[in-house]
Amino acid sequence: MAASKKLMSVKRDWRERDVRVVLSALIIAVATVATIALFASQLQRTLVSSASSFLAADRQLEAENGRPIPESWMQEAEQRGLGTARMVEFSTMVYGAGNFQLVSVKAVNDHYPLRGEVEYQQGTDEPRQTVAHGPAPGEVWLNPRLLRLLELGIGDSLEVGNHELTISGLLVREPDGGFRMSSLAPRVMMHVDDVAATDVIQEGSRVEYVYLFAGEEAALNDYYRWLQPQLEPSHEWEGVRDGETFSRSLDRAERFLLLGGSLAVMLAAVAVAVASRQYALSQRDTVALLKTLGVSSQGIGRLYLRRLALWGIVGAIGGLVVALPLYWLLSSVLGDVLGRQIDYQFDPNALAPALLTALVSLFAFAYPPIRRLRNVPAMRVLRSQPGESGREAIPDLVIAVVAIFGLVWLYAREVSLVLSLLGGLALLLGTLALLGWLMVTTLRRISGGGNAWRLALVGLYRHRRASLSQIAVFAMTLMLAATLILVRTSLLDDWQAQLPEDTPNHFLINIAPQAVDEVDEFWAERGHPLEQLYPMVRGRLTELNGQPVKEAVTKEERVGALNRELNLTWMEELPDDNGIVAGEWFSEGQTDGVSIESELAGKLGVEVGDELGFTIGSEKVTETVTSIRTVQWDSMKPNFYMAFPPGGGLENMPATWITAFYLPADMKGQLNDFSRRFPTVSVLEIDHVIERIQEIVQQVTQAIEAILALILAAALVVMAAVVSATMQDRQREGALLRTLGGRQSLLVRSTMLEFALLGFFAGVLGVAAAEGAVWALQFRMFEGEFRWHWQAILPIPLISALVLALFGRWQLKPVLSVSPMLLLRRLE
Amino acid sequence: MSDLSDHKPDSQRPMLKVSNLTHRVSLETDTLTILQGVSLEINRGESVAIVGRSGSGKTTLLGLLAGLDTPSDGTVELDGAVISQLSEDERAKLRSRRVGFVFQSFQLLPALTALENVMLPLELGGFDSPKAKARELLERVGLGERLYHTPRQLSGGEQQRVAIARAFASEPAILFADEPTGNLDNRTGADVSDLLMALNREQGTTLVMVTHDERLAARCGRHFNIEAGILTEPSAAAQPEAVN
Repeated sequence: MAASKKLMSVKRDWRERDVRVVLSALIIAVATVATIALFASQLQRTLVSSASSFLAADRQLEAENGRPIPESWMQEAEQRGLGTARMVEFSTMVYGAGNFQLVSVKAVNDHYPLRGEVEYQQGTDEPRQTVAHGPAPGEVWLNPRLLRLLELGIGDSLEVGNHELTISGLLVREPDGGFRMSSLAPRVMMHVDDVAATDVIQEGSRVEYVYLFAGEEAALNDYYRWLQPQLEPSHEWEGVRDGETFSRSLDRAERFLLLGGSLAVMLAAVAVAVASRQYALSQRDTVALLKTLGVSSQGIGRLYLRRLALWGIVGAIGGLVVALPLYWLLSSVLGDVLGRQIDYQFDPNALAPALLTALVSLFAFAYPPIRRLRNVPAMRVLRSQPGESGREAIPDLVIAVVAIFGLVWLYAREVSLVLSLLGGLALLLGTLALLGWLMVTTLRRISGGGNAWRLALVGLYRHRRASLSQIAVFAMTLMLAATLILVRTSLLDDWQAQLPEDTPNHFLINIAPQAVDEVDEFWAERGHPLEQLYPMVRGRLTELNGQPVKEAVTKEERVGALNRELNLTWMEELPDDNGIVAGEWFSEGQTDGVSIESELAGKLGVEVGDELGFTIGSEKVTETVTSIRTVQWDSMKPNFYMAFPPGGGLENMPATWITAFYLPADMKGQLNDFSRRFPTVSVLEIDHVIERIQEIVQQVTQAIEAILALILAAALVVMAAVVSATMQDRQREGALLRTLGGRQSLLVRSTMLEFALLGFFAGVLGVAAAEGAVWALQFRMFEGEFRWHWQAILPIPLISALVLALFGRWQLKPVLSVSPMLLLRRLE
Repeated sequence: MSDLSDHKPDSQRPMLKVSNLTHRVSLETDTLTILQGVSLEINRGESVAIVGRSGSGKTTLLGLLAGLDTPSDGTVELDGAVISQLSEDERAKLRSRRVGFVFQSFQLLPALTALENVMLPLELGGFDSPKAKARELLERVGLGERLYHTPRQLSGGEQQRVAIARAFASEPAILFADEPTGNLDNRTGADVSDLLMALNREQGTTLVMVTHDERLAARCGRHFNIEAGILTEPSAAAQPEAVN
């Protein structure tokens, strides 16, 4: 290989410590950003499709007026290339083997489901199967509990209205089951073609026609734009983004991933900047020699530019090589957890931020010091020249700060994120300036001596510029890592608090007032006490301040809650997870007033003091809003838009009671006893939904932890970069000290102490800045409550002191193991 | 500016002509004069030693003569080109074709092998078959067996021999040597200076060497003394006979 080409070879570069650090930092940055971007887009797709399967489609159109929609609407959808399916839902009595039972029927056509899968068994002891269709005409699938209740078996007949159907399977799980309050009774699934023969649907029956649509997002939106003007109030168009139970959790997970990515970028940028500055310093002799041999400044510039470009290519390829298997791994674990095939859509757009990161890291952080190599005087070959004053580095710093925040903003698109981190950094640098001043004024008085503490303090003072910049970089690194750890911890705590192990997984609905005590007793005896029982009255919100509500609210603001009957309740005490945001909760003995949920109030423009009119059956009830409260919709407990006080306008209305409770999987048999004793009470089983959410949360947690590991790796690279930056000087000093008769043990102790002090200061600063940033982030991005993290605050400075002491010890190794003479020669 | 690499040397013209060279550096409080009113002429093929103690200004003078730096006042004419009128890049171009260097601290690139270190100026100057030429030179300096060793694997004397091979590789018209034996013991130093003189003679190169070593200086055709930035040439009678 030609010598000048060899000067450019990456293989040769790799042998240099500083280049290794730059390349590792680049690879980690690209890998982290690429993994996060790929995984986030995969997560997004998977979760949207998983959420889609809660609808069994991408969109649903429900007709609650008991009439099918015009056929032309479906034809239009099909012409637009959308997949369609239809189903009919109604409640009826079924008869089999001498038993009657109220059931909730879902009749589906051949295309159901468009998304997700139906899980069924061909017999009680047969394995579960997942299929993408419902029962064939003439057949019916039953909820397993219903089969036992009716004392029927596979192959028996079931009468639905006037039609007899053959039981061919047990319905274990339907992709769109579980969340609809209207499907209260045990489920029966049949084919839509059999519905007419049952004669169940008569004029005025309570029937819901549901239409399913699936296809490209754009086509769906176009179709909706076409459809919207023709919809009536009783038509409800539902997309996956509305009504997702766990969207808030996912939203936060996504934000966390973005935060992680941004921090990775910042860490990598710091590492690249430190290492490339060090690299540039080490290249000055080579540049001087090349100039002496006749290479021009432009030649030098080109040489190093080409080298940077080469590093960029290696960093980008290396990063992707690391990222792709990691992404594959994370996604396949995700697939396992969700129990289905992941479609690996390699999204090239997701790679753009990673490559941009490589490019910006190189050109904003690595290039400026390397560019200045052109100015190294040739005269340096004869005599060392004064180094950089540091003033030249100021424009670099400005470019770097702008680039870092530009990158973070571009990546996370969150002004608050950028500002939080910027604030944390400003806090850090301000404190650092103070610390620097303190160091100079107090340490100056300490004189050297044979004591390790003194030597360490003198060392800190003597290297104060290097020490301060090291503390700055360590503290910054620790701040970024600590921010991530703190946010992760509070995120996970939050999720755990949201869906604890004993989250209610069964609802009991339709409990007659006189049966309330008995039902309560039944479960208390079996060791599964019920959560709070709530009365429930169905009614519509019809008037707002004396005006019909549909006139009072413009069409754009029209909300789903207005189109259907609401569950109204009365309660004495505010549930723990509700919070009053305006007005006051009912005082004792108060019987007038109503409390409205805050989001609905916002959409309707309702404030405390407004008058709401409800139609309940044939009665009208009018109440003044006395409070507005927040509701945790994803708490898996009964939640209500409207709450009245006890003894208020609702008390005389026909009410049934509702409650939720936790029933472990192995106790599900008790539900049969319950249904036999209380045949009119509906049991809503949402245990599989909760399981699924918990699985997804667990998966996302794993992803977050993987990302955290990557970030911590980046942090270590930064530390290595900074320590290695002063390695040679310190080794030379150590060798000299030994030559001059310093004992090894003294050298070891004073160096470790010096680094421990550095680490401790950096730790304190980093954690303080992290707390500041987390406070801001928590406040702005995660809507959580800020808590001090004492457990995290105490160990981090100690751990960082320990780690740095060990780093210091490790870098002393060559000084101790080799004769000072040899070392001094080697460092020459 | 004419293309310097094609500049035809004029055998009548002195190789190096320095007139009234002064160099000052600004310090924080005042200005330090390092060289004052230096004038000299060196003809083609001559070997010249500049002798002085540490701090006398001899290294600064060498840097100015070789065009590594530009003077505060006065002119340096190297092979017909006035260095102080050239830009840094033009000076670099001049060096790549006409000038060779040997340094006290060898200045080999640690990542390159002996062979590659010698090839480097040949490649940079666009010479033909650099590898064959570099190998030939390394054999000439007695390192034919150590072509693929890196500087760290070579002794000080061997490293300086690689540096000498590199200096002569591009057949420079003039060679500047800065304390070439300064980092070597007496015996090795003597071997290295023998080699330097021999190659110098074989290639007919003009040699300018700064040293504090009187014995090494004695091997050059002429010598100058430098003290406190002032250059003096002892009378012709005091000049040493060139030792062969």
